[in-house]
Amino acid sequence: MLRESIDRYTADHYSFEQRWKGLRSAYRYSESAWSDYADMGWLALRLPEHMGGMAAGANATSQLMEAVGAKLLLEPILASVVLGTGLVLKRADASQQAELLPKLADGSLKLALAHQESLNAGAEERIACEYRNGSLYGSKIAVLHGDCADRFIVSARNAGAAHRVSLYLVDAARTNVTWQNFSLLDGRGAANVRFHGASAEPLAAAGPADADAIALADSLQEAAVALCSETLGAIHALNLATNRYLKERKQFGKPIGANQVLQHRMAQMYMLEQEVRALNLAAQRALTGPSDGRDRIISGARAYACGAARRIAAEAVQMHGGIGTTDELDVSHYYRRLMVTGTLFGNRDFHLARFAAAGMPA
Amino acid sequence: MNAAVLERVERLRAEIREFVRTTLPTDILHKSSRHLMLGKDDYVRWMQSLQSRGWAVAHWPREYGGMGWSTLERFVFEDELGRAGCPWIIPFGVKYVGPVIYTYGTERQKQRFLPPIATAEEWWAQGYSEPGAGSDLASLRTTAERDGDAYVVNGQKCWTTYAQWADWMFCLVRTSREARPQSGISFLLIDMRSPGVTVKPVRSMDLCHHVNEVWLDNVRVPVENRVGEEGGGWTLAKFLLVNERTYGSGLGESKFAFERLKQLVAGQNGELGDTALHDRIIELDLRLFALECVSYQVLDDMAMGVETGAEASMLKVRASETYQDILEASVDALGYAGLAYDAQTLHGEALPHLGPDDTAGILRYHLYNRAATIYGGSSEIQHNIIAKSVLGL
Repeated sequence: MLRESIDRYTADHYSFEQRWKGLRSAYRYSESAWSDYADMGWLALRLPEHMGGMAAGANATSQLMEAVGAKLLLEPILASVVLGTGLVLKRADASQQAELLPKLADGSLKLALAHQESLNAGAEERIACEYRNGSLYGSKIAVLHGDCADRFIVSARNAGAAHRVSLYLVDAARTNVTWQNFSLLDGRGAANVRFHGASAEPLAAAGPADADAIALADSLQEAAVALCSETLGAIHALNLATNRYLKERKQFGKPIGANQVLQHRMAQMYMLEQEVRALNLAAQRALTGPSDGRDRIISGARAYACGAARRIAAEAVQMHGGIGTTDELDVSHYYRRLMVTGTLFGNRDFHLARFAAAGMPA
Repeated sequence: MNAAVLERVERLRAEIREFVRTTLPTDILHKSSRHLMLGKDDYVRWMQSLQSRGWAVAHWPREYGGMGWSTLERFVFEDELGRAGCPWIIPFGVKYVGPVIYTYGTERQKQRFLPPIATAEEWWAQGYSEPGAGSDLASLRTTAERDGDAYVVNGQKCWTTYAQWADWMFCLVRTSREARPQSGISFLLIDMRSPGVTVKPVRSMDLCHHVNEVWLDNVRVPVENRVGEEGGGWTLAKFLLVNERTYGSGLGESKFAFERLKQLVAGQNGELGDTALHDRIIELDLRLFALECVSYQVLDDMAMGVETGAEASMLKVRASETYQDILEASVDALGYAGLAYDAQTLHGEALPHLGPDDTAGILRYHLYNRAATIYGGSSEIQHNIIAKSVLGL
């Protein structure tokens, strides 16, 4: 049912032409679409039912993310709905949740996860950012939707607690926070953020000493699965477009799809999509399944999806020919989006290494 | 997959492992796990040991002596046996012609042919390909002309695996000339002892004898040995080919070969030594993982009745290519040990020339499996099928 409502909405309100308006807005997404998402309950997807949410599991989140990929939605769903809300649910205490969750649900509060510090997308991130005496010091880069976020959730080492990785809330409007906004390859916004003594509030739910680090790792796995689903949506859309183009475009007096070389390459793209579809479902199941083998399944799925996306996107441009290389056609937008998707929260190399490490006998 | 199905499948896996450990003749497993050549007697004992549990034909309906297994159960069965390094399940009787006979055959045909297939008392061969009809199977030219209560068959079949051991051959023949080459084909069961049947060996690139030419010279075949309608053979041929591709994904064999590859590459400290091979192993591991996931997804979809018609093609392409690449990496891992080769030793106790005692077997399997992307519909044909059936190209 969620799936149908998403498809209906995006078909009516999120055509490629309508999307251009969002791209050209101040925060590079559509504010009106964002408030529609709130009205339809998408932003409260993960909230428990007594808070007006859908208590949705991995499957529903993935359905939403598939649509995000299929239509290249620009709004901060991954940043705020999946990661931000997810971390608040995992680690905020009751009074923090009472303050944050209603605003997350109605869209008036947008969160962004400020985690990445190094340029290396292929290795486990080593956090240097530090929290001491109530304040944060350090820099984060390429914070997805960091340009529009009202608050950041920041990973940092707690100087007062053996430098353990912990999570902090920082109001973006606070003093001693500076940032530099920029556009990602696909047109969405991001920011490099510096904290030089910004006052920060720990996520305060009770738990063992490493509860924040575990919650962060779990959230990054949720992000990996969400990005798999987004990738699936995007490559499905690309395959549909390319397959249609092969039938429409005529050269030498016949559709270019009459050429066996293109038929076989299209068949390859179809097979990759089917594999990503199966892996995406396996990854969703792994999120809620036994922890044994979870890393291997999720990272395997993500690594395979990254490789498939690269191939399919490149082939889509190639088979569309000259027009495929223009900004005018959606194909190039999918291409650039998949470049971003393929790097965020760990690229193919990163996940391949994790997949391999998890597969080796102890 | 629901919990009850999962539990049944897990129980089956445990039973199969137990069977491999306790019941399977050890001399056979010794040979097959080193890719040595098995003789007819080895294969018959292998198939009969499977049938001692009813497993050789467990995928058949109960009324014909099977256990009514689902496609999933059959898949898990082959996966487990393959993973353990068991021999090839000779498919021609139990997987190919058996289902054709119980689906399309007469009562008499079922009674005559099904029991000795199940017990491996009769060996079957597959008479499909011809010198001029490989990928374009429908252009086959072997003719069968009606003469009273018999057909008189003339022509030549090729790539006929283990025809040298066969008692029977199921055969596609042309019973009439029609505009559409697919029309006018019939499905005959030919007694290999009939006068006019000549089997000539063809040596494969592994220097062993697997395949043959079968010459048919005025061979009389009783009309009662035709399965299905005269001219309706193409339907049966396609039915069989889809079974061949679905069951033939060989996931277990690939896993067995992959585990061996990892051992080969592991150095003295148990570390993966060669960096380039190490990277290839990880990529192959990922492909195997994807193949496994998509295989079970397809089985799930089939159980739900959601099929596009391209699933078997997809699995065949992916499985055969992955298997070939694992074997290719294994040959690279052998290095200089992979240079010496003596096909004779593969028929007896292989003496290592250089390297581990399965060296010659790995080389042989690599060579033999060049055919994996050609038989059962080449990779190119599978791509054509996908392009046509789901992409509408």
